[in-house]
Amino acid sequence: MSTVIARTVTRTVVPLILVTAVALLLQGHNLPGGGFIGGVLTVTAFAVIYVIYGLDYLQEELLHQFRDPLLESFQHGIVANYQIAFAVGLAVAAVAGLVPLLFGYNFLYQSHWYLPALPIYGELHVASALAFDLGVYFVVVGALLTILAVVGTE
Amino acid sequence: MLQTPDPAASAVLAVVFLPFAAAALVPLVYRALGERTAYYAAAVALACFGLVASQYGAHGAVTVPWIPSLGVSVSFYVDGLSLLIGFLASGVGVLILTYSGGYMHGEPAQPKYYAALLAFMGSMLGVAFAADLVALFVFWELTSLSSFILIGHYQRQGSSQYAARKSMLITVSGGLFMLVGFLLLHDVLLDVTTASNAFNIVWMLENAELVQEELRAAGMFLPVLALVGIGAAAKSAQVPLHIWLPNAMEAPTPVSAFLHSATMVKAGVYLLGRLRPILVGEEWQLLFAVLGLTTMTVAAILAVGATDIKELLAYSTASHLGLIVAGFGFVSELGGETGAFHIVNHAAFKAALFLVAGIIAHEAGTRKIENLGGLWEDLPVTGAITAVAALGMAGVPPFNGFYSKELLFEAAWEAAAHAGGLAWLYPAVAVFGSVFTFLYSIKFLMLFFGEKPTGLHSVHSPPKVMLAPPLLLGVLAGAISIGGVLGTFGVHFAPFDHFVGEVWASTLPPAAEGHAFHYYVPTHLTPAAAMSAVTIALGAAAYPFYDRLHRGVNRLTDVDLLRANWYYDSAVFGVNGWSDAAAGRIQNGLLRTYATWAMAGVAALALAGYAAAGVGVPGFSGFSVTLAMALVLGVAIVGALAVSIAPSHISGVLTLSILGFMVAVFYVLADAPDLALTQLVVETLLLVIFLLVLDKLPAFYGNAGRGKMVRDGALSVVVGATVFVTVLVSTAAAPAESIAGEFLELSVPEGGGGNVVNVILVDFRAFDTMGEISVVAMAALSVLTLVAMRERGETQ
Repeated sequence: MSTVIARTVTRTVVPLILVTAVALLLQGHNLPGGGFIGGVLTVTAFAVIYVIYGLDYLQEELLHQFRDPLLESFQHGIVANYQIAFAVGLAVAAVAGLVPLLFGYNFLYQSHWYLPALPIYGELHVASALAFDLGVYFVVVGALLTILAVVGTE
Repeated sequence: MLQTPDPAASAVLAVVFLPFAAAALVPLVYRALGERTAYYAAAVALACFGLVASQYGAHGAVTVPWIPSLGVSVSFYVDGLSLLIGFLASGVGVLILTYSGGYMHGEPAQPKYYAALLAFMGSMLGVAFAADLVALFVFWELTSLSSFILIGHYQRQGSSQYAARKSMLITVSGGLFMLVGFLLLHDVLLDVTTASNAFNIVWMLENAELVQEELRAAGMFLPVLALVGIGAAAKSAQVPLHIWLPNAMEAPTPVSAFLHSATMVKAGVYLLGRLRPILVGEEWQLLFAVLGLTTMTVAAILAVGATDIKELLAYSTASHLGLIVAGFGFVSELGGETGAFHIVNHAAFKAALFLVAGIIAHEAGTRKIENLGGLWEDLPVTGAITAVAALGMAGVPPFNGFYSKELLFEAAWEAAAHAGGLAWLYPAVAVFGSVFTFLYSIKFLMLFFGEKPTGLHSVHSPPKVMLAPPLLLGVLAGAISIGGVLGTFGVHFAPFDHFVGEVWASTLPPAAEGHAFHYYVPTHLTPAAAMSAVTIALGAAAYPFYDRLHRGVNRLTDVDLLRANWYYDSAVFGVNGWSDAAAGRIQNGLLRTYATWAMAGVAALALAGYAAAGVGVPGFSGFSVTLAMALVLGVAIVGALAVSIAPSHISGVLTLSILGFMVAVFYVLADAPDLALTQLVVETLLLVIFLLVLDKLPAFYGNAGRGKMVRDGALSVVVGATVFVTVLVSTAAAPAESIAGEFLELSVPEGGGGNVVNVILVDFRAFDTMGEISVVAMAALSVLTLVAMRERGETQ
C-alpha cells in the first residue's frame, strides 16, 4: 500500500492530525472535543503510519529501537511504552481525583479559574478538569495503541 | 428461664474473625517457623477455645451495625447449641492442629494446609454463631470451600481430585437448595415483620409459632422444610447424599478427623437443631426421623462392608449423624435430648477413633482391616483409648454412646406408642441399625486383639504429639461414661449436665417445658433398656459371622443399581459427555460459529425477557424528520444494503464506513457535534484497523451453501429486530422531564465549561469516566495477556 503518493500524503497529514488531536483535547471543555476524542484521533495518526510504512518503521526508524521477537517486545519494546502511557494516564486521572481531597473537597471535585491578562494570549480559562481529561487521553492512547500493535503484529 | 448474662460482642466477633486473620498470616509464619506452624495454628485454636469458653453461660444476641444507613448489620447469637458447636470446632481444632504437627511431618504444601484448616475452623465457628440466615449461608458455603481445599490436599492425585470435587458438588449444591429455602422463608416473613428481622434467626426463635403459622398460611411450610432439609442432609451426609463422606478420607487423616467428627458434618445437624424450634411438627418428624433412621441403618450396614479402617469410620460417621438427625426428628422433648447429647458423645469418641486410625496407618503402614490385628502388644495406650471409644460407639453400657442411644430408643418407642401402626417401624429400624453399629464397632476394637497377621512388622509407638490428643478425647469419653455410672447413684456432674441441658433447651420450641438434664444407667426394665439388651444380644450372636456379613454386604454393593455412587458417577460423567459434545458444537474454533451462538443467545434471551416482562413496543409519536436527515439516513440504508452485496472485503469495509459517516452526519444534524466528532474519529480508526487486518484475510470465503445463507440471513434479521426493539423500548422509558435542562444550567457555573457533554464526562459524572478508562486499560491488558500467553505456548 505504500505508494509514493501515500507516503507523501502521510508525512503531511500525520502532524496535522496530531495537532488537531491536541487542540481537541485542550478545547474540549468549552467546544466539541475532549480526552476521549483527542486520544482516538492520536491513535488514528499512529495507525496511518502503521498502515503506510509498516509496523517496524515506527519502532526502528523513528524510535531507533531494535525489533525483538513478539514476546520480548511486549516486555521491553514499544508496547511497553504504550503500557506506560496508559498506566500514567490512570495515575494522572486518579491523582486529579485525589488532589481535591487535600483541599477538603470530595473525590473528583473540579474547579476552574480565569486568568484574565496573559501576555500575548489574552484571557485564559483553565479548568482543573483538564488534568482528569489528560488522564483519559493517555489511557485511551496507550490502550488503543497496545491493542493496535498487538493485533497488527498478528 | 434463668437470668443469663449477655454475651460480650468483642469476644464473639473475635472468635469468628481470629481464625481468618490467623489463616492470612500463615504464609508469613511458615517462613519463620517452618513445620512448627502447627503449634501456631493450635495456639490460635486454643485462643478461640478460650474465647468461646469465656462466653459460657451467656445467652443472647450480639449485633454489630455494619451499614447503618441501610439498616444492614451483622449479628451473632450465643446459646447452648452454638456454644457446643463452638467448643467442638475450636477444641477439637486445638487437638487436630497439635496432632498435625506430628502427622504432617515432611508432607508437601503445609502453609496451604494450615491456612485452609484455620479458615475452615473460622467458617465453622461462623456457622455456629451466625444469627442471620444470609451470614449463616455464607459461612456454610465457606466450610464447603475450605474443605474442598483440604480434601484435595494431594492435588496431583486423581482420587483426591475426585473426592474434593464430589464433596464440593454435593455440599455446595445442597447449600444452594438451603439458600432458596431461606429466601422463601424471608419472603413469607416480610409480610409480618421488618426487612431486618426477616433474616434474623433470633427473631424467628422468639416468634417460632408465628413463623410456622405464616409459613403454613402461605403454603410454603413444606417447600421450606424440604429445601432446608436437603441442605442439612447434603452437609451431614444423609442417605443418599452420604457418598461424599467416604471419599473425603482422601484427605490427610487429621483433616478427616476434623471434618467427620467435630465440624463439617456437624453443620447439617446443627442447622436442624437451630431450626427445630421453628419448624418442628408432624411433617418434620416424618421427614427427619425416617431420613435419620434410614441413614443410620444403611450407613451402618455399609460400614460392615468396609475393608479400610478409615472407610469404616467414615460410614460410621454417616450412621451416627443419622442417629442425631433421627433424634432431632422426633417431635418429643426426648428427641431434642437425643440429638443434643449424641452430638457431644459422637464428637468425643469419633475424633478419638479417627486419630487412632491415623496412628495405626502411620505406624503400621496399612489401613486394610484384614492386614491388621494384635496391635495391643505394641500400642497399649492407643488400645485403651480405642476400647473406651469403640465401646461408646457400639452403645455398650456404661460407655458414653449408650446413654444417647437409649434416649433415641426411648424417643422412637414413645413416637410409636403415640402414633401406632406403621410408626412401630421406628423402634424396629433403630434396633436393626444399632445391631450393625455394634458389629463394626467391635470389629474395629478387635484390631488390637487376636493374632498378628503375617506380614505385619512390629509397630512403633507414635510420637507424643500424636498420642496426646486422642488420649485427651478418650479420657473425655471415659469421663462422660463414668458420669453415667455415678448418675445411677444420684451423683451428677452438674456443670456437664447443665451444659447439655442448655444445648437441649436450644432445640426446643419456646413454649416447651424443659427439665433438668440427667443421664444414668437404667436400673429397672424399660422398653428402651430392653431394646438395648436385644441389640447387644443380637450383635454378639452375629459377630462370629462377621466375615460372612462383610462379604454379603460387598456382594450387594457390587450391584450398580444399589449404589448411590453409581448414580452420582453416571450423572456427573454423563453430563461431562454432554458438555464435551456441546462445547465441540458451540466452540469449534471458528469465530463465525462463536458469533452465531453468542448473538443468537443474546437475541433469544433479550426477546424472551421482553416477552416475559410483557413489554410492548411503544407507538411512535412526534415522529419528525427534516429533509436533510431523511437524505442522510437514506444514504446510510443504501450503504448498509451495499455492504451485504459487496464483492470483496475491501469494498465491504469501505461501504460500511459510508454507513458510519452517514450516522456521524446525522449526529451533526441532530445538534450533537461531540457525538459526531467521536463517531467520525472512531469510524476512521476502525477503517484503518480493518484495512490492517484485511491484509491477512483471504479475498473471498468461497461460496457458502444456500442453507447457510438462509440461516445466517434469518439470524441477522433476528439480531436486527432485537436491537430495534431494544432501542424503542429503552428510549420509550425516558422520563417526562428531561434532565438535560439542569445540566445545561449548571454546566458553566459549576463545571466551568461550555461543552456540556465534556463537563458531564469529566465533572458531573467523572466517577463513571474513571471506571470506563479503567475498563479500557483492562481491555488492553487482557489483549496483551492473551496474545503473550499464546506465544508462550500456554494455550490451555
